[in-house]
Amino acid sequence: MSDSADPAELQKHVKKYLLIGGILLAATAATIAIAFYEFPTHSMNIIVGMIVATIKASLVALIFMHLNHERPLIYKFLAFTTVFCVVLFVLFIFSNADPLVDHGFDAPLEAVEK
Amino acid sequence: MDIPYTVHARPDTGLYNAKVGIWLFLASEVMLFGGLFSSYIFLRLGADYPWPIHELDWTLGGINTVVLIASSVTVVWAWAAVKMRKHGLYKILMLITILCAAVFMVNKTIEYTGKLNHWSVTLTDGSILSGHLPKDEKGHYIPYQVKFEGQEITLTVSGMHRAVDANPVDYVLPHIEGGAPKFKAAPAAAAYSFAKAKSPDFSALGSSDWELNASTFAQIRSISLAAAREAWKAERDDKIALAEKALAAAEALPEGQERAYGIQEAKKALTSAKNFNQVPDTKIKLVATAPFKVAVEASKLLARQTADAIIFRDGSAATGKLLDDKFTLEADALDLRSLADQAREKSLAFDARYLGEKWQKHFIANRAAENKKFDEKYSDGKGGVTRDREKSATFKKHAYGLHLDSPEPKGDHGGALGDGPHHPVLHIESKDITFFSNYTPKLNTYYAIYFTLTGLHGLHVVAGALVLAYFLVFNGRMLREDPEHLANRIEVGGLFWHFVDLIWIFLFPLLYLL
Repeated sequence: MSDSADPAELQKHVKKYLLIGGILLAATAATIAIAFYEFPTHSMNIIVGMIVATIKASLVALIFMHLNHERPLIYKFLAFTTVFCVVLFVLFIFSNADPLVDHGFDAPLEAVEK
Repeated sequence: MDIPYTVHARPDTGLYNAKVGIWLFLASEVMLFGGLFSSYIFLRLGADYPWPIHELDWTLGGINTVVLIASSVTVVWAWAAVKMRKHGLYKILMLITILCAAVFMVNKTIEYTGKLNHWSVTLTDGSILSGHLPKDEKGHYIPYQVKFEGQEITLTVSGMHRAVDANPVDYVLPHIEGGAPKFKAAPAAAAYSFAKAKSPDFSALGSSDWELNASTFAQIRSISLAAAREAWKAERDDKIALAEKALAAAEALPEGQERAYGIQEAKKALTSAKNFNQVPDTKIKLVATAPFKVAVEASKLLARQTADAIIFRDGSAATGKLLDDKFTLEADALDLRSLADQAREKSLAFDARYLGEKWQKHFIANRAAENKKFDEKYSDGKGGVTRDREKSATFKKHAYGLHLDSPEPKGDHGGALGDGPHHPVLHIESKDITFFSNYTPKLNTYYAIYFTLTGLHGLHVVAGALVLAYFLVFNGRMLREDPEHLANRIEVGGLFWHFVDLIWIFLFPLLYLL
């Protein structure tokens, strides 16, 4: 939020918004280009794509949603949201891990038999 | 009572109230979408089919990304414009924001319509053909229908409340061509399994050439239910009489354990006889005066059609002969990724009835070319490759699939298309199909999560646009008299709008690109 009603200050903000908008559009073009470039594994494509998306999302959150200078109360709300969301995103680990043969994900079978 | 702290910050929180509210709401929204993104991860990791990559047209998704980013800029700019008291600029920017939302939804509609009109047919060997239904002269799609010539219809009027209960008026007659069929003589009902029950008497319907319609079916139904109730009552009375007889016999026994036990058991039997409530079903056979034609979409049938019978959703069965149940598909792509490597070139899709030898040769040549391309691209300089081709999603997509974008393989035919269909037109026999669907959530888990996520996101776009439009249209007085209050409203609406943009920033790559 911006308490300043100073027109010159706001005008500067507007310039910043336009700049961020431009960066977001460029990042979108980059996302598309990267998606058609083949990294050694497709997982790397996914990771790179998600990193770019996270950067874009952070810009939206920090600049457009004014989270770069917000009151502490809001950060407190969002801290909880972040923690729970991270838990949601790593839940899949429990469904993929095998508790009987705890040898990690793609360990070759020979390594397990030794 | 006015809501306090709409303009100035509340001293303890340092925020005006609506802002606290919107952030709490957004936190819950993050959890909602977070749960769905988590489902996406589970579905993708657990998919037992090749996860679609670059299957959706990224241009529409890309345009929508640009549109949403632009609208995010304009909404925050509109907020700054109100703060600067540039009211004209605010109105223009807000209008652009709302127009962006409209463009987004139009694109989404185009995309969804394309999906709903696109079909996928899985053959018994796992080959997947996709394409469109044929069109009639007016340009409407002709749905896939099972054509049948019926002689008899068997209705089952359920004596108890059941989900499947004869209702030919809604479930059978609409699919009969040329209006309601006429039937010979009065219908015949199968005898109830109860010993003393009488079959229902349908002579009231007339003896010949009566038509099956709402009023005759109502008659059939009431006669059947009355007869079924009679049958049930007779059966119950019978059971009660038997139990009473047993009770009397037990009471006649000399005092002792045997008598007590006999009475106890007879009383149990009597209670159960009194509670007997099974009203039987009535099975009625109608014989048509002339064979009637049925054309019905497969989804309107209760079970798969056989050579001599079809069963409608209300359990009514027609017997006769199957005329045609071939699925006509203007095929635009073939996907053989689910088959074993050696089985691919022998796919059922290359049967002489379907794509045939020409496309088979084309597939083999294309696969060889893709292999060569892969070898060159990932050559390690020693005759090997640096990458496992079975782990390359794009290689498998191109090498183990075919675009069917001309009626004949292009090399063979010079590529001239003319006015005919632009794809091979296949008439796929029902016995060769294991599953077919248009591109809806039921097709596979990818489309299930695609429609869930984009549908929910689309609803958010509509809701956000409505709120912003409300500010623009109905808050003109607030703009003049209390611009700071309106600025706060726009900031809160804008926060929601940015959140919608933020979700799309993740949806676009996850669903369209990666």
